Amino acid sequence: MTEIFNAQGILKTFPGVKALEDVSVSLTRGSIHALLGENGAGKSTLIKVMTGVYRPDGGTMMLDGAEYEPQNTHDAIVKGIGVVHQERNLIPRFSIAENIFLEHLADQPLRRIDYPKLFQDAQRWLDLLEIDADPATPVDRLSVAKMQLVEIAKALSLNSKILMLDEPTASLTPHETDTLFGILRRLRDDGASLVFVSHKLEEVQEICDSVTVLRDGQNACESRRLDELGRQDIVRLMIGRSEMIPDWVARDRAEGQPVLELSNVSTKLGHKAVDLKVHKGEIVGLYGLVGAGRSELAKAVLGKFEITDGEVLVNGISAKINSVADAVGRYRIGYVSEDRKSEGLVLIHSVLENVGIPIWRRLSQFGGFLTNGTVRKHTVPFIQKLEVRTPSLEQQVGNLSGGNQQKISVAKWLAAEAQVLIIDEPSVGIDIKTKAYLHELIRELSDTGTAILLITSDMPEMIALADRIVVMNEYAVMGGFNNTRDYTEMSEGIMGLIQGDETAAA
Amino acid sequence: MNQKFWQSEWFGPLLITVTAIVIVSSLNPSFLSPFNIQILLLAISVNAMIAFSQMIIIAIGQMNLSVGAIGGMAAISFGGMMEVWGIPWPIAAVLSLSIGLLAGIANGALCAYTGISAFVITLASLSIFKGINLGITEAQPFYDIPDTVKSLGNDTFLHPLPWLVLPAVAAAVLLWYLLFRLPLGRAILAVGGNEHAAALSGISVPRIVIVAHAISGLLAALAGIMLVGRLQIGQPTIGDDWLILSFAAPVIGGAILTGGHVSVAGTFLGVAIVAIITQVLVLFSIDPFLVQVVLGGLILWAVGINRYREVRAHRKIAAGAI
Repeated sequence: MTEIFNAQGILKTFPGVKALEDVSVSLTRGSIHALLGENGAGKSTLIKVMTGVYRPDGGTMMLDGAEYEPQNTHDAIVKGIGVVHQERNLIPRFSIAENIFLEHLADQPLRRIDYPKLFQDAQRWLDLLEIDADPATPVDRLSVAKMQLVEIAKALSLNSKILMLDEPTASLTPHETDTLFGILRRLRDDGASLVFVSHKLEEVQEICDSVTVLRDGQNACESRRLDELGRQDIVRLMIGRSEMIPDWVARDRAEGQPVLELSNVSTKLGHKAVDLKVHKGEIVGLYGLVGAGRSELAKAVLGKFEITDGEVLVNGISAKINSVADAVGRYRIGYVSEDRKSEGLVLIHSVLENVGIPIWRRLSQFGGFLTNGTVRKHTVPFIQKLEVRTPSLEQQVGNLSGGNQQKISVAKWLAAEAQVLIIDEPSVGIDIKTKAYLHELIRELSDTGTAILLITSDMPEMIALADRIVVMNEYAVMGGFNNTRDYTEMSEGIMGLIQGDETAAA
Repeated sequence: MNQKFWQSEWFGPLLITVTAIVIVSSLNPSFLSPFNIQILLLAISVNAMIAFSQMIIIAIGQMNLSVGAIGGMAAISFGGMMEVWGIPWPIAAVLSLSIGLLAGIANGALCAYTGISAFVITLASLSIFKGINLGITEAQPFYDIPDTVKSLGNDTFLHPLPWLVLPAVAAAVLLWYLLFRLPLGRAILAVGGNEHAAALSGISVPRIVIVAHAISGLLAALAGIMLVGRLQIGQPTIGDDWLILSFAAPVIGGAILTGGHVSVAGTFLGVAIVAIITQVLVLFSIDPFLVQVVLGGLILWAVGINRYREVRAHRKIAAGAI
């Protein structure tokens, strides 16, 4: 097999973080290559370097025998590296054909678009990818799976030498995934070079030929043949288990009155009869794949989405939560969003203001107005406790690193004295050291009595932190068990529950 | 704030204001004559109120196209109530302010609960309020304004400080206090900075949006009433030319149009700069239509500077992220 792409010694640093260090990858024609790594391992940074979003600070890349230094994303596409991103990048009201050929609808900007020809050309791609749809159909009428295929068609129509697929199956049903895999295999057999990024190891083993694993921004392995590696080997490469799971004793704190209890809760979004209990000082881990409805459940508890049936109890008393203001003010339930930048923080405001938001009203209850002094008195201890590294308290949080931003998101709820804290994917995009620190902190927080609901798709994180693991799939709770902190046993138990195997819950 | 004062967003406008005053007064000493200062302060007082009514909406990251229409409606209500019904001026003033407040609440409630953009809602309400104005007045001014009102709108209480300076200064101080010392004001800025984050921190976003629009309506109405005193006539055209100024002054003062950041002092200085430029053009008998051109240029310049700051900040954010 001939090599088509090669990267050697790629280095990419951001202030305070080495996102990639001495990373190498090699891709061959006619193969599907897996790019694996946990959240924060550097996968997305590597993809961004390859597709011209970032310029590497060191290292060389070769594409098809020539030096490859993309100046920007457009340049990368022209030179032959196409990406299908995890988020959809289609123009909703435009037709399939227009979306596929968006960059070259006509030879010249002022030339009339020849629609019959455009549709005809698009039909070729639709046939190739077995998409059963009229090229004139607006893409917003398509299923998610078909949209994905349209994006693949779009990338292929640009004569991509390499096609990168970022979590292509995240929102597909098993049947749609099978169809997609059939198409990917055919493209491979026709000589295409594909890069497959996924968290789902079964899929990787099913469809990929070789694999590169990243861990903490470095190669855990480089372009190895997958048939030499077992599943356990891959997991070990990804998580370097010993360092990831601290040596804490298993706890059982499921006793007494639950602080937060969901009884038979159904929501407008489609949650079905969810039962869930979180006790004082307990960390309950809510595991599930992307799209299982975990964050949505959290937001329903917070009063953002309507609960249609069942009830939420706080300290055993039925809680009437009509808005987030109720949840925060009356029941002291805090939520650390998985999306810090768009939901968690006011990026253009200072550290002090971000930590103070939930307590402004409380601090001014008696005196009427807020002084910087009062706010400081009630926030600074927590900012210090969490060792937030910032030049000053007036610093805009947008200028801080991901890890420090996450600390601020947590500090805010410490200041608010939350009795229940829902933490959603706490370690996305933060460095390993901060992650370990956050884990200790979450554990410590539970020791002080806070009831914690931890939502994470990061298996080692789940097994490191949770006292009890509850598994969700398709907006329903599949089951749960106490965490024995035995990695293999727990991960198999979780997988079993996701696949609906009741016996694994034992 | 710990940052050095020359780094703050109002330092640039302050520098411009002081420089302009020094240069203009050296070229034409009559610029600093008590009479001219009085005229200048009258213009600044009313315009500051107009600018504040927009500033509070910019703070939540929206825009209010109907500030002029609300101001005009309050102005003719004020004039009409006094002329047609003979209502004493203080009561007429309070009633007119209530009209502005209600108009603002209506704007805010529509923005908060329909999910339609503030641009569209205030564009529609602009047309509605202006229509009501013209329906009531039949495009004729109310001339019968009490002497007290005329006097308050033009005379000084302490030479050369006109009475109108008092509400303007009071509004500035109260707004500063609200935005930077009261939880309500902090919430207004938080909503403008990141609506989702504010909501998930327990802030009731619809309530905040309504409050901001209510304040905006109240300030616009106040500006309209002050203008009736100053012009000594209840003109139906009051408010027609407010829109550009209402955006220009906050933006010159460092406000970010996407919300979350405004400066009361900066906005005040923005108003002063515009007033000085207008005055200069009059003093040197330059065509007043040039004011419009200069104002447009100023807006572009100020937005350009803010944009530059934003891009720089975003680059830092992008670089800080993985």
